[in-house]
Amino acid sequence: METRDPIVDVKNLVVEYGKGATRVRAVNGISFQIFPGECVGFVGANGAGKSTTIKTLMGFIFPTSGSVRIFGAEAGTVESRRRIGYLPEVALYYPFMKGRELLELYGGLHGLSGAELRQRIPELFEELGLKGKEEVLLRNYSKGMQQRLGIAQAIIADPELLIFDELSSGLDPVGRYDLRRVLQKLKERGRTIFFSSHELTEVENLCDRVIIIHKGHIITQAPVQELLKPLNIFEIIFSIADPSKLPEVVKKHTVENTGETYRVTIRDVADYARAVTELVAVGAQILSTTSKSQSLEDFFISLIQEARREEERK
Amino acid sequence: MRAAWLIARSVLVEAVRRKEIYAIVLVSCLVIAGVMSIDFFGLRGLSKFYCEVSLAVMSTAAALTTIVLAARQLPREFEARTIYPLLAKPVSRATFMAGKLLGVMLAAAFCFALFMAVYIGGAVYMGSHLSLGLLLQFVYLQLLALLILATLAFWLSLWLNLDAAITLGAVLYFAASIIMTSVSYLYDYVSNAGKVVLKTILYVVPQLRLLDLSEKVVHSDVWKPLGISTIAALTIYAAVYATLYFALAYLSFRRKPL
Repeated sequence: METRDPIVDVKNLVVEYGKGATRVRAVNGISFQIFPGECVGFVGANGAGKSTTIKTLMGFIFPTSGSVRIFGAEAGTVESRRRIGYLPEVALYYPFMKGRELLELYGGLHGLSGAELRQRIPELFEELGLKGKEEVLLRNYSKGMQQRLGIAQAIIADPELLIFDELSSGLDPVGRYDLRRVLQKLKERGRTIFFSSHELTEVENLCDRVIIIHKGHIITQAPVQELLKPLNIFEIIFSIADPSKLPEVVKKHTVENTGETYRVTIRDVADYARAVTELVAVGAQILSTTSKSQSLEDFFISLIQEARREEERK
Repeated sequence: MRAAWLIARSVLVEAVRRKEIYAIVLVSCLVIAGVMSIDFFGLRGLSKFYCEVSLAVMSTAAALTTIVLAARQLPREFEARTIYPLLAKPVSRATFMAGKLLGVMLAAAFCFALFMAVYIGGAVYMGSHLSLGLLLQFVYLQLLALLILATLAFWLSLWLNLDAAITLGAVLYFAASIIMTSVSYLYDYVSNAGKVVLKTILYVVPQLRLLDLSEKVVHSDVWKPLGISTIAALTIYAAVYATLYFALAYLSFRRKPL
């Protein structure tokens, strides 16, 4: 049970679009909280309600019912936005501006002084791999560069809460690596991070907690580690001079011959221990052993499939 | 205040870098140059003709530029989604709109300054009489008219698409320029109900001709600058309309889902 005050407090949030017969309920009575220093991933299929929820947190759209409070203030107020850094789902910036000018604009709007901007902007260009692009017009920036600049504008004022909608969209692997590094640093400095992403390995690697939303309902919210259960699947790769000496405990599982080496997959921890001992005893050389766990992606897909089956039953 | 200024500056930077203003000034100059090349009134008549046509071309071009600039500010922000990172900053929607309006007015003033430089150069070349006082009053009142048009275009752009907002803004501009004359012609010939309608139109649509001193500038050899009380009254008149349209635009935008 958390005893700290939440930074984000969403209670029974309902958001509907349209009027009359075309009315659509995008978010259907969700509640969650985010506490200081947490990194929380917000995961769901397309159309699940992630962006709608995030837009409500930012005050871009308004709740049909329920409440959203950020730092104790109503979401969307100037007061609540003062402490937030936000990266939109699709980041497009003014094509007629230069990179430096854009950050001066956003930093200035966040209340940074001229001296602070002169110090902070080169740091950000360096940190996000955009050094040398300060005076380039944004119309000449690639999608990935615009996304990096988007991250720069979100963190320029070193806000306490970062909200990223589709964190790494448009970034190449190097960009993702840079971004992970930036987020790790922010996490280490105690910043609170809330982001939606389709990259579940990213969520798995960065987040303390994950919230899974499906068709406007939260279907799970739990610490990431709780969801990554061991699957009791073990894999041994070994080489053996005389394959006829393979122990029985190995033979009873699936053994693949991959040329010089063998791979055996074992679904029982006791058999796995025995197999390793007996392989060594018959002179086999163990090249590697791995134990497989359920990934967040496995968990997410099984959860969504279960939810779909449930809907079909109804 | 700083936030509004920063937003205004970005509008001005866009207007200057898109080079549309220069293109409009250039086209207007070509029209004026064409006028200067005609010499069928004799030199004295030509200089007045030059002043009249130049001021009319410049006022119309500046008005249409302002309508286009103002009408596209908000729809472009929605379309390009640049509004999200902007309104994610600690900036109220009112400040955002005020910044956009200030930017449009700075761009309009820049455009008008270019026009005036061309006009004064041409007038000196043609040997026209120039009254600095009248010219300054002309510029000031034109800027007030542009402010009304900018706020009107803002409001229209929030409930019409961009093309429709520009078209309707332009139609209202031309209507507002001629409506006073038309109403005074028609007034004596309509029924009592018609009179009420005409009076309503007269009060609802701003009378931009009240803010147009071009005829006095053309004949500045016989006209003196307006008195301070007249200028103050016209300022209040323009401020009322601009405030009204801006308030209507703000009410449309205040809770608009983005």
